[in-house]
Amino acid sequence: MNSLYAPLLVRYVSATGILVHLLLASMFIGTITLAVVSEGIYAYAKDARWLDTAKMFGRVAGIFLGTGAAFGTLVEFGLVTIWSNFVSIMGSALVLPFYIELYAFLFEVVFIVFYEFTWSKLGRGVHLALGALTVFGAYFSAYNILAVMSSLSMAPPGLIIKQADIGGLISYVAVFQSPTQVFNMYWWGAQVFIWHGMLAATILSWSIVASIYVYKYLHGRDPHHLAILRVMIPTIAVLTAVEGFLLGHDQGELVLSADPLKLAAMEGMFWSGLKVDPLLSFFAFGTTNHAFWGYYTWPASIRPPAFLPFFYLVLMVGLGAAIGGWAAVTGLYLLFRREPPTWWFKLGYALGPAAGLASIGGAVTSETGRNPFILVQNLGGNPPAITGVPVSSIYNPTITVSPLLAAAILLVILAIPGLTAYMLYLATRPRRAGGEP
Amino acid sequence: MNAATIAVALIAWAFSIHIPIVYTVLGLAWLLPTLEYLGYRRGNENYVSMARNMGAYLITIYAIGGLFGTIITVFLAGLLPVFTDVAGALFWPVWGVAIVFGIVIALPMLGFYYRTFASLPPMRHVAVGYLTAVFMTVIPAMFRMVFAVINYPIGVEITKSSSSIIGFNLSVNLGQAIGNPTYPPLLLATIAAALALTSALMASIHSWRGASSPNAYYEAGRSLGAKLAIAFGALWAVFGAWYLYEVYLYSPTVAWSIMGRPPSYLPSAFLSVYQPTYDLAWLLYLIIALAVVDLIALVIIIRRPSKTAAALTLMVSLAIVDASEVLNGVAHMPYALVPPLGAAESLVNSYGVSFAVQVAHTLQVSTFVSTLTPLVDLIAMDPAILYISAVGFAFFNVLIFVVIYYALVHRGK
Repeated sequence: MNSLYAPLLVRYVSATGILVHLLLASMFIGTITLAVVSEGIYAYAKDARWLDTAKMFGRVAGIFLGTGAAFGTLVEFGLVTIWSNFVSIMGSALVLPFYIELYAFLFEVVFIVFYEFTWSKLGRGVHLALGALTVFGAYFSAYNILAVMSSLSMAPPGLIIKQADIGGLISYVAVFQSPTQVFNMYWWGAQVFIWHGMLAATILSWSIVASIYVYKYLHGRDPHHLAILRVMIPTIAVLTAVEGFLLGHDQGELVLSADPLKLAAMEGMFWSGLKVDPLLSFFAFGTTNHAFWGYYTWPASIRPPAFLPFFYLVLMVGLGAAIGGWAAVTGLYLLFRREPPTWWFKLGYALGPAAGLASIGGAVTSETGRNPFILVQNLGGNPPAITGVPVSSIYNPTITVSPLLAAAILLVILAIPGLTAYMLYLATRPRRAGGEP
Repeated sequence: MNAATIAVALIAWAFSIHIPIVYTVLGLAWLLPTLEYLGYRRGNENYVSMARNMGAYLITIYAIGGLFGTIITVFLAGLLPVFTDVAGALFWPVWGVAIVFGIVIALPMLGFYYRTFASLPPMRHVAVGYLTAVFMTVIPAMFRMVFAVINYPIGVEITKSSSSIIGFNLSVNLGQAIGNPTYPPLLLATIAAALALTSALMASIHSWRGASSPNAYYEAGRSLGAKLAIAFGALWAVFGAWYLYEVYLYSPTVAWSIMGRPPSYLPSAFLSVYQPTYDLAWLLYLIIALAVVDLIALVIIIRRPSKTAAALTLMVSLAIVDASEVLNGVAHMPYALVPPLGAAESLVNSYGVSFAVQVAHTLQVSTFVSTLTPLVDLIAMDPAILYISAVGFAFFNVLIFVVIYYALVHRGK
């Protein structure tokens, strides 16, 4: 254990909480989008089953928003109590996205209630507009929270980190050089991170839903379920391609410039000093002779864990490519009104779990890869000096998390997804009167 | 507009929406099982139906109250980051207990209570309701402890430190903090106020509807609601007076602001230290006058259904709650934490006058607000941001009322 790190137990507990929150938030984004897309198709095609589908996803989205918001409150209190010194950093530098996110949250909460209670009371166009506003709120909320998460991995331009002992409780603060620089929270590097995250959330949620519909179709042969897959799977293929080839590439370039230590850990470049890596050189620069700083160039005290290549290369890149490949082939079959071979189609059962693992891979790569710092900065030099606010300094100095307390917090963390699952069961179980599901 | 005023205005606005909502949540949490119990014991089906109907309202406003709770947290962290950071670091057990009992346990229990009206044996369902109410009460029980600390920071210890940029280190003894003399009356007044407000709203709504279409259901809600509102209002007055007495003894600035003159025990040398920013005695008198108006309206409602009395009760009850909270909160200014007189004297004796003055200055809202707050700086540079924010929030406030209408009234038609 290094002094720059917070206690391992606390990090495991917080990581579990953040992953659960990401899942609930992603599912809300994906399902509310599906509800609006389904209603749009109904408005165009006048097929009542699409309206049933839209209503069901509306209910499901409401459950994810409700439980996700409750979980968000839990995460918020986790920040205030366990990572209490993050609060002063948030207030001193990162506050603008949080402030704007309040509006996004209001959009979500207000318009989803309108959307839910006005299915048969408003004209279709007006109701669709309400749904679109809810979707906008969902993505705008994610946009702002991801702006904050981006700043943790790459400090925005103009941010200055200062050591400051305040009351024996706060040891670091971060400030911008001028008040207007708070808008740098949305600099272009943050945009890449943000859109990468938002697409990942959509791919994850749609993949989970699609795998359920693949299962339902292969067991019931309902043409409506195939119609839903015909919309979802080609979309997943396109989004995965954009995610991997465009945003992923830009993200990689940013990591290369902003945090070469993280890049070395992700790519498994386990050497010391500069060394040519032809494959990475080709992907990054289109040549085969570029040299990269190795993982062991930097002191052990600031190196992120060495297990990152498994999460990055195997889970995120490997499974992401598999998802994209399967969705591309299957999507082509479906767009040409053909059904893929059953054995191939059955691989779709794994779409949701694979997307889940790929998302965990991405989240761990992003968040653990920046450890032991937040607001990571590359100060330049040979090798580049990597610095930031040590994670240990945002940990509440007055708290000690025992294994028993950690187990209790984990129980609480896992109780809310359990409640969500039960509510989803109640909301989607088959009804006697027919309709979706 | 200076930074402290901007911060106080934003936080006061969020509180003024949040507080009546969470008061109603707390009040309903206790009233619903009570209505059920009375209904089963007296064989009055109206009370049971009332509990069930208001259960849907409870779930909706619980969610909206939670939303505004999040808004307040972001405001506090954004506008008073150091204060919020220190409060989180020192009082983490308080926040932890509140979130676990008040949200993680109470939320599913509320859902269970609402969904099992017809499926659980009556008295077992009542027991579930009361258990839910107990868990929900943990939130004000914990939060009010922190409010008591800002009145009179007993348990908060200050140690001189040359490395700290504010000149001292902070720690807390939670055992002592629980023994804060302003805490019991504040908590009891809060619970009584929550029950009084909720009962008044119940009387108001049933009186309004009863005036349009008289029936036994509205009659029962109108009469019981008004009687309970008067009873809990009286308790609120008693606990409020007790609270004022404790504040007078232990929190000189708050007492001075509310009563309009300094406590008699305050040495003249400390008058400038404890002088409040605002003289709010007029607000105290206004609250008392509004309470009298509310009492008259409630007596009218007991006697007969009246739309005028109903409207008056609704508006005046909400105004009393908001005014009381604003009075209690703003009376601390210029301080975020009012330094106790004994501690001030002790600091002067131990470290000298200049250190005591430095501590007092550090505990002021203006110090917390002007330290490390880019949002406040940005607003000060361009006040239009604040006005646009205000318009945006006002718009969403209106929409929230429309949402409640659609969710609860229009839906049933």
